[in-house]
Amino acid sequence: MAVASATAVAGRRVRRAQASAAPLTPLARRRRALFWPFIAPALALYLVFFVGPVLASVWISFHRWDGVGALEPRGVQNYEILLDDSTFLDSFANTMLILVVVGVATFAVSFALTMVLREMRGRKFVRAVLFFPYIVSPVVLSVLWGFLFRSPEGLLTTLWTGVTGNTPNWLGDNLFTVICIGLIWVNTGFFTTIIMAGVDRIPADLYEDSALAGATAWQRFRHITLPLTWDVVATAAVIWTISSLKIFEFIYAFGGTTNDMPTVDVWNSALFIYGSTFGGRNPQYQFGYASASAVVMLLVVGVLVVLLRRVMRRAQIQF
Amino acid sequence: MRKSSSRHGHGLLHRGGVGLVWLLAVFNVGVLAWMGLAALRDHTAIFAEPWSLSSFGEFGNFAKAWSDSGFGAAALNTVLLVTGSAVVLVAISAPAAYALARSGTRVSGAMALFFALGIGIPVQVIVIPLFVMLENIGLVNSLTGLFILYVALSLPFTVFLLTAFFGSLPEEVEEAAAIDGAGPLRTFLQISLPLARGGLITALILNAIGLWNETFIALVFVQDTELQTLPLALLGFMQTQQYSGADYGALFAGVCILVLPMLALYVWLGRRIVEGMTLGAVK
Repeated sequence: MAVASATAVAGRRVRRAQASAAPLTPLARRRRALFWPFIAPALALYLVFFVGPVLASVWISFHRWDGVGALEPRGVQNYEILLDDSTFLDSFANTMLILVVVGVATFAVSFALTMVLREMRGRKFVRAVLFFPYIVSPVVLSVLWGFLFRSPEGLLTTLWTGVTGNTPNWLGDNLFTVICIGLIWVNTGFFTTIIMAGVDRIPADLYEDSALAGATAWQRFRHITLPLTWDVVATAAVIWTISSLKIFEFIYAFGGTTNDMPTVDVWNSALFIYGSTFGGRNPQYQFGYASASAVVMLLVVGVLVVLLRRVMRRAQIQF
Repeated sequence: MRKSSSRHGHGLLHRGGVGLVWLLAVFNVGVLAWMGLAALRDHTAIFAEPWSLSSFGEFGNFAKAWSDSGFGAAALNTVLLVTGSAVVLVAISAPAAYALARSGTRVSGAMALFFALGIGIPVQVIVIPLFVMLENIGLVNSLTGLFILYVALSLPFTVFLLTAFFGSLPEEVEEAAAIDGAGPLRTFLQISLPLARGGLITALILNAIGLWNETFIALVFVQDTELQTLPLALLGFMQTQQYSGADYGALFAGVCILVLPMLALYVWLGRRIVEGMTLGAVK
């Protein structure tokens, strides 16, 4: 969620900070003496609870381990088994599907909403309403979303039955699609807010000029809105990539009243890790194997973020 | 429909769009309102007539969720954990962020980036070593363990957020304080911290929201029902329904206990919350 906010800008900010390194004032010199004492507690926690565990995950991934006995070295075998494990491959495919399909849909809807919201009355209220699901517990959203599509008593199911006469079994037949649409619903408000902030910086006269020149709505979007919000979209894409890989609760809670994980068809990588260690009615405790899939996940985040920043980098447009 | 209307010019397309957007807003408000109403209805009535208001007035649902299903105890755990973690988090992150924002050295630049990398690490990737670590020191299945994890795992985001806030403050006031003879520690405590009050409060609120809703870590690290947080109580309540029979009235009452405090906070401080959450992207 919001905790994903913007690794992307950090680099930019760092460079700015360095550039502003002025000649040392007495204040700056004395402040430097406090640098290490000030960051020490945070740094210690960060090293112990992030950096250490990341390295440990890599180390454990080359072993067979149930978390209790001794680690049993097995080289890259865990990784080889992963490539043959259809549960892992399907979870991975679902993760990518959420990343790409839900991502593209979310951005498309967010842009469409932005274009409409820009010129309508009550925009602030509507935007606030659309944003709200983003700060509600994903477990709650999952329960509510599930109830809309329940068969036969769900709110949308009964509506559908009233109009068409038949009663679909959405949660049984198309659970993953229902989940994906739900994810779009949850995330749209957040990304609309970001994109709107980008669009609001575009001078209005650009739109007036293009309207005089007879540009259609699509042409205005394609040649004004999109290029001038590109850097915001690029940052938002990085945020989405990071947060989409972290999605867990919204899918997990679809296990609902079964006292178990949801069916493996709807797992993503995060659920796969949980399912092969602590989760389910009979926990597997395959720490080595799950660590291997965790390392794959981490590599995917890293590669995707670097790729995205590279692909979406463009000359800054001044306006 | 939207395609064909675009030929008739801007007006119709726009009006159609506005209609759809309002429909979406009404949907969101409607789901929320329905949840609140269903929390006061009887289970069989909800299932028989989801769209009606029959059997409205079952205030017992809340009593049932609060005491029988452990939402009351979970609420207490959650409030303690959330306030404790958020305050300690900001207390640890603020000096670090101040040092990172103000030093302007090569080391501090690299360090800021190093912290920011933590934002990109999904917690599922490091949960196994964390579990083993906490098990070895006897902090699995304990609120203290959860508290430590909550503080540590929210650090990168909080440091990042506060570094941005301190970086945006003017330095002149601090320089004036230094000329007046205030030491750097005193300058930080008495000048910079009060100036950054807005940022500190935003960091507190965002972390409180994030931790209020946090589920994954609690799910892995807490097993006892007495120690569970609100999202765990909700998950647990759903799971016990398999044996004790479904009661969606009480379930939605539990959902309300989770959502209504967030709704109140959002109505009160919505602008600050939205701005804080989207800050990284739009600056």
